[in-house]
Amino acid sequence: METILRSAEMAEIMLVPVRHHSPACALQLRKVINQWQPSAILVEGPENANHLLPVMVHAETKAPFAIYYAYHDKTKVLSEEQEHFKCYYPFLEYSPELTALREAAKGGIDAAFIDLSYGDILAASTAGKGLRKEEEKNTYNDDYLLSQNTYIEKLLEKTSLRSFDEFWEKFFEIKGLYEETDVWFSHLLTYCKLAREHTPLEILQEEGSLAREAHMAEHILQYAAAQSSEKGIKDFGELQKILVVTGGFHTPALAQHLRVKTGKKTVTSKTKQSSKVPAKNQSVYLMPYSMEAADALNGYASGMPFAGFYQRVWDYCQETQQPYLDNGAYQKAVLDLLVESGKEVRRKEGNLSTYDEICAWQMAQGLMELRSKPQPGAYELLDAALSSYVKGEYNIASDTPIRILRQLMTGEGMGTLCAQADVPPILQDFEAQCKTFRFKIQSTLESEVTLSIFSEKKHRTISSFLHRMVFLNTTFAWRVKGPNLQLKRDRNLIREIWKYKWTTAVPAALIDVSVYGATIEEAVTSLVQKQLKKDISAGEAAKLLTQVFEMNLTGQLEAVYDCVNERILHDTDFYSVADALKYLIMMDELGTLYQTELRFEDLLRRCVQKLITLLPSIIGIKEENLTACMDALKLLYRITNRANMKLAAESELYYETLETMVYGHPMDNTALNGNVPLDKQTDLHTDMRADLHAGLCGCIHGILYGSGREGAANVEFACRGYLTGTKEQLMQTAVFFRGLFYTARDLIFIGGQILELLDTFFGQVDSTEFMELLPQLRMAFAYFTPAETDKIARRAAKLHKSVQKNPQAASSPENSSSAWSKTVGEDILTRNIVLPEWYTYAKALDAYVQGQMEIEI
Amino acid sequence: MTQEAMKPPVEVKYKEELEVLKNTDTGNRPENWLLSPKAVRTFIIGSTQPIVYQDKGYVIQKKYFGNDALIERCIVTLAGNRGLMLVGEPGTAKTMLSELLSAAISGVSTNTIQGTAGTTEDMIKYSWNYALLLAKGPSRQALVPSPLYVGMEKGILTRFEEITRTPAEIQDSLISVLSDKVLNVPELGDDGFLFARPGFNVIGTANTRDKGVNEMSSALKRRFNFETVMPVREVALEKQIILNEVGKLAAESHINMEADEDVAELLAATYHELREGISSYGHRIDKPAAVMSTAEAVSVYYQTMLTGYYYGERRMNVGCLVQNLVGAVSKENKDDLEKVKGYFHTVVKDKSDKEGGLWKQYYEARKWLK
Repeated sequence: METILRSAEMAEIMLVPVRHHSPACALQLRKVINQWQPSAILVEGPENANHLLPVMVHAETKAPFAIYYAYHDKTKVLSEEQEHFKCYYPFLEYSPELTALREAAKGGIDAAFIDLSYGDILAASTAGKGLRKEEEKNTYNDDYLLSQNTYIEKLLEKTSLRSFDEFWEKFFEIKGLYEETDVWFSHLLTYCKLAREHTPLEILQEEGSLAREAHMAEHILQYAAAQSSEKGIKDFGELQKILVVTGGFHTPALAQHLRVKTGKKTVTSKTKQSSKVPAKNQSVYLMPYSMEAADALNGYASGMPFAGFYQRVWDYCQETQQPYLDNGAYQKAVLDLLVESGKEVRRKEGNLSTYDEICAWQMAQGLMELRSKPQPGAYELLDAALSSYVKGEYNIASDTPIRILRQLMTGEGMGTLCAQADVPPILQDFEAQCKTFRFKIQSTLESEVTLSIFSEKKHRTISSFLHRMVFLNTTFAWRVKGPNLQLKRDRNLIREIWKYKWTTAVPAALIDVSVYGATIEEAVTSLVQKQLKKDISAGEAAKLLTQVFEMNLTGQLEAVYDCVNERILHDTDFYSVADALKYLIMMDELGTLYQTELRFEDLLRRCVQKLITLLPSIIGIKEENLTACMDALKLLYRITNRANMKLAAESELYYETLETMVYGHPMDNTALNGNVPLDKQTDLHTDMRADLHAGLCGCIHGILYGSGREGAANVEFACRGYLTGTKEQLMQTAVFFRGLFYTARDLIFIGGQILELLDTFFGQVDSTEFMELLPQLRMAFAYFTPAETDKIARRAAKLHKSVQKNPQAASSPENSSSAWSKTVGEDILTRNIVLPEWYTYAKALDAYVQGQMEIEI
Repeated sequence: MTQEAMKPPVEVKYKEELEVLKNTDTGNRPENWLLSPKAVRTFIIGSTQPIVYQDKGYVIQKKYFGNDALIERCIVTLAGNRGLMLVGEPGTAKTMLSELLSAAISGVSTNTIQGTAGTTEDMIKYSWNYALLLAKGPSRQALVPSPLYVGMEKGILTRFEEITRTPAEIQDSLISVLSDKVLNVPELGDDGFLFARPGFNVIGTANTRDKGVNEMSSALKRRFNFETVMPVREVALEKQIILNEVGKLAAESHINMEADEDVAELLAATYHELREGISSYGHRIDKPAAVMSTAEAVSVYYQTMLTGYYYGERRMNVGCLVQNLVGAVSKENKDDLEKVKGYFHTVVKDKSDKEGGLWKQYYEARKWLK
């Protein structure tokens, strides 16, 4: 603690350094307040949240909760972008700041926040630094300044501890239960001073710390100056003692500021800077917060980790009133968690014995002694579980016990706010809409609604409300059944079935997005606009269009429509544009049902044109993209042939491009070869390109054949090319067939040439190669209906009957068994005998192919 | 007769340190331990401050680099009721750690069972001196104790190396010993019960590459606390280990040649990058199937050093280093050499362009990759 002694003009000031979310700090701070009896308590925190203090300390308000600060840069103070900003200031039951505020309320002591308002902090920070970092969640806490410096690195090396948090637990958290308040705070202050000395000044400048400290010091002085009754500052009257609770990192700087200023006797300085940021663009609310979000290990918080563990320690500490706070709180918490996690592991994996728990407890005790700690802490707990609960090598398959323990150490649950808490307008809007639609939000039971979205207007309104709630990630409602436009599934359904459930997470999520607007519609609209500003692909833009469609944001449709249009023009990714095309076709088909006036023809045409221009880029695709490519090719074929689409001009271009892909140039199609046998063919296209993917080649030949641009002979020629090629090319034949059958499976029944080719192919590969090809072949034949497969089988059997007559084949060793030779040929289809070994072989084969296909897919 | 050993056991090598620690140790010792757990830890992870003994300051050398918390868990496990099982990739210093622990706790690191596919139950428990057995019948004199027997009898640690190389049914003979701490020798009748003295415990090591060969039974697994020893994750530390180990080896063989730090760094970077599959410049690299452990790096370095000492001009030759690297990598799989070549053509090439110096020589030595 730093004490600035009382002078003639001002009150005595005591600066107390704390670390956010530290139970030891809270306990020691409580002792200080009780002993010192200050007449005012000033706490680090943006001053524009002062009006929330009564709610924060209300008996019905339960932590964890957070102060939610939002700022919309409408007046372009920060940048030209008119961005939205938000940040959180979370409090746990054992946060020292909350303890200070609660103690103040209990003793009737005045309390206030003294930091710059949120908007002013933003203005004082450099873009991309501090609270202006581009992160999902920014927290006001700046404890990371204590843990990230060159000094701590050396310190950890010397003490052979793993992290700052372990260091902190050993030397401050656990010791905080044993040491005298003065000693403990002086140690903490020493550490804070050292940490500060080893932090570069630029960081402090960039993150706005310097500006904040200056402001806080100014504020403290104004409160301390007895005659102060300046506008904007609450008049506390004649103050004797002021206790200032700030993050330890700022305490040394504040002390310096205060000493300099009090030394110069310029206590009543009026240099307070006027706020750069208009108050009306800032909003502050309290919101329930979750333990998970408050745990520093989850990435965005910067307080202490293991919120659930320290909550238990805190709870146990409350049971004692001794001068020293030790009553074995850590021991109890460690034992609790070892037993609870052991129980959970037993339930999930069933292989943990009570003896394992005993060993873990012994390990925790042993480590505590070895590491010279008076009680085992979070790290002994984790080490004990790692040693005794994990059997075998520690890896992703065996770390369940550690994951369970970590979850317990994080804790679960959300805080609650008292009824007097202010709610943002968006929450009021939500409640009003729920009332209109008669949704039950008084209980937390799950309810179901069925909506006939196309026949009843009201149902459509409800549906769009629910879709908006989904879009805002509120976890309020989820669709059980109904058309899913994003996955392009169940489009034939005309009803939607929804489930909804009110939980404390819903208002929290709504407050979270309240920065984007006062109503749900406004919030959704600004989020859509925000999305549009991002660099999204054509596919994503089209998907957003479907969402806007579902949410019935008619005002936004046009903007998103234009965005899709623009993205299609700029996107050079074939798959993304193909994706967009699929969405657009779907919406074109469903447009009348959803009663939209948008016309999609132009967009579709543009999309088709773009795809055709992009086609040559997919020549050398990778195996895993084959299905997507074939899908796109087929889709293009389908849509360019649709009578009502007026895309005939595009269809010509499409075929020409396909021909270019296969032959290197478009073909002259004046004289079609039709089904003229190969040897009599006069105008055969023989100049093929070699770099085209075999599957794609098959697929394109299928389309060209289907559209009548080339005859079966050409397809056969291409196929023969693979068959007679080198071994590697021969192996590609299976993929070729897959592509071919995908678009033109009727070819196999015409002329019979293809079947023969297939047969030749099977003859040319040996059994191991055949096994390798099986997955592809199976996919190739998956496009046939069962009746067609039968037909093919009959024809194939016929082919083999003739082979059987060949004396050479009959004498081969495989055919020597009599059962085999009798059943070859057409009998294969009609025979009744199935030898067990065939069955086993077939079963093994089936399992193998399925396994392979899964890997490939 | 005392004969100079090629590689003296740990307790001989660090005799002085152990002596100092023993005489200055003030902590509580578990029964039959030579040192307290705190002193054992100091012996392994070293001391930052010199320890004053007989008016002289001794700095305890750091012998194990890596995870200090793991060492602490190992020590506490050994003081408890369960055995300690060290598992990990080959070459992660599991054996060295188990030797250090045994030497510090029991003063002896040679009470060891070497697990192989041919290990039998009598090698684990006891066997007989048949001449004496025939002459005098079954008696303690005729019994040939195994390291496990010795450990129980004297109250010291028994090391069981490569436990998963041993057939599962043989491994299981440890179960009753570890849980009941008693070994029954039925041939000796009523005197045949050997109750383990305090201080006895077992340190096993197992290779994760052997997983599935002789998987340990879950009954046996329950008798052990498992510690997974991970490869070193920092290049700087790996370089330090190479230099330390090579220094020791050279001193043992009386090779009077300074280790070259830059070459050690080069080798550490190579091993690190090939093991992790990503270079410091962010190249993605195919990982070889061969073991890319620090111990392998040490042996590659040491071989190169020997060549330099005897055939060169007491200098490390990068070409020779590459040849030894090839020898070390292409043991199991032909493809591994291709992967190393790939590494040279991408990462080493880029580093040679950007950093020059030794990396350039290294890249030029790629001709030996064949």
